[in-house]
Amino acid sequence: MIEVDGLTLIYGRGGTAVPAVAGLSMVVDSYELVSVVGPSGCGKTTLLFALDGLLAPTAGRIRMHGEEVRGVRRDVALILQDAGLLPWKTVRANAELSLRIQGRKETAGKVLAELGLAGFEKRYPSELSEGMKRRVGIARALALQPRVMLMDEPTANLDSITREHIQNLILGLWWEMGFTGVLVTHDMEEAVFLGKRILVLSARPARVVEVIENPGMGEPGYRGTPEFVSQVAHLRQVLGGNGP
Amino acid sequence: MTRTLRLAFYYLVAMAAVIGLWWGASWLLETTREREILPSPWVTFRAAVANLGTLASAFGSSALRFLVALAVAFLLGLPLGLVVGFEPKLDRYLSPLIYLLYPMPPVALLLFLYLAFGLGEVVRLVVVVMALFFQVVVAAQGAAKYIVPSHVTSVRSAGATRWQIYRHVVLPATLPSVLTAARVSVGLGITMLYIAETKLGLLLGPGAGLGRFIEYYTFRGDISLAGVVGLALLGLLFYVVLELLERVLCRWKFVGARGGA
Ligand SMILES: Nc1ncnc2c1ncn2[C@@H]1O[C@H](COP(=O)(O)OP(=O)(O)O)[C@@H](O)[C@H]1O
Ligand SMILES: [Mg+2]
Repeated sequence: MIEVDGLTLIYGRGGTAVPAVAGLSMVVDSYELVSVVGPSGCGKTTLLFALDGLLAPTAGRIRMHGEEVRGVRRDVALILQDAGLLPWKTVRANAELSLRIQGRKETAGKVLAELGLAGFEKRYPSELSEGMKRRVGIARALALQPRVMLMDEPTANLDSITREHIQNLILGLWWEMGFTGVLVTHDMEEAVFLGKRILVLSARPARVVEVIENPGMGEPGYRGTPEFVSQVAHLRQVLGGNGP
Repeated sequence: MTRTLRLAFYYLVAMAAVIGLWWGASWLLETTREREILPSPWVTFRAAVANLGTLASAFGSSALRFLVALAVAFLLGLPLGLVVGFEPKLDRYLSPLIYLLYPMPPVALLLFLYLAFGLGEVVRLVVVVMALFFQVVVAAQGAAKYIVPSHVTSVRSAGATRWQIYRHVVLPATLPSVLTAARVSVGLGITMLYIAETKLGLLLGPGAGLGRFIEYYTFRGDISLAGVVGLALLGLLFYVVLELLERVLCRWKFVGARGGA
């Protein structure tokens, strides 16, 4: 369970200070997958960095499973926007990077195979398609077998076929691995497809302006249903009212 | 493999061209001035063969001296450059200092270096190290300053220590530009080596370094020129070794559709 209470994050100080998140509160239940949707530059990445323990809150607090977050935690994995792969490491070394940093001996072979990356272990990121790079980023997080997965726009800038493929993959992994997930996106359909609840953020500085219950989520077939279409329409309306 | 062969072929063609030009210049000077000014490649080659033992010893000494200087410059300059470039606080305080010292040619300090270190091996190494050290520092610092933030975040998110950030991100990210800078500095390094071996090598015999060899045979143009060729080959050797090192250590730069960009 993730509890965020009055979270405020401000970059810099004084006259040049940039408030990115202002008094944001949210709760994510254990094993729940929540999507967070908001306009570009509203503070979504900043929020995820704070949840991951990379940024200390300027005010407010964050608790994971009841413990206050005071730095990066080993049971939390973050999938960076654009995957954040290291160009000088092979696919395998990238997927095992977090494991090695934590001094863990496990390998990522199985996870890579599951994500359709078998045979590419010795390749470098520059040799991969955009969709494959994202899957390597996902593999790196999965290899840790985390209790909490933080995902930053995992399908941004992908073509629509690859995007749906990755969305289905994330849904399947959520069922299979049973993690608690926060998925940040600026794509409304993605928010509806992958969020049991959808938190709608305001323009910068981010706060939650609406929480949309989305009980129909959970099946790949959800995309074609009238309920899905009406949820997207509703989300569009909410974002339109608060958007840039 | 074919790549390597093709590269070797280009070097051979270039060498043939240099020898051709040399021959032309030597012939032109001899016919216009009516005496031998620049010994021809063949004459030089014969002089080299006749003094092969001394020349080989001089080449070996110079190569070893340059290798040690290069290693010391890397060992000292790489950590300093990386830390100064990557830690904004150090950058603020140390960068002005580095940029102030960087353009100062060690040659201008020869007298003081001589007074400080005498005429032993140390002073010759110091001169070459000083020249290469700043090249390495400035290259490492420049590259470390522009490390992609998401690369650092990806390891920090896993809980990386400062040392792990350097090991997994800062060092590998900057290595290509540092090695390229080192390669480019070989020319400067060889010049400094020559100066160190001549100006600070007065007490040495001709086998103690190519600079000394060239100076020792000043009045035997053909032998002296053989030493100059040796110096050029020494530079080429280090240039090629550094290039190979970059290909092995930075393999990721040479793969992929965009050349690994
Ligand atoms: N390190 C930083 N220093 C100053 N401002 C920043 C920094 N990182 C992000 N910002 C600003 O904070 C705001 C939110 O950024 P971000 O969280 O990346 O937005 P999003 O992920 O929603 O697109 C943006 O206006 C951005 O310019
Ligand atoms: Mg973002």
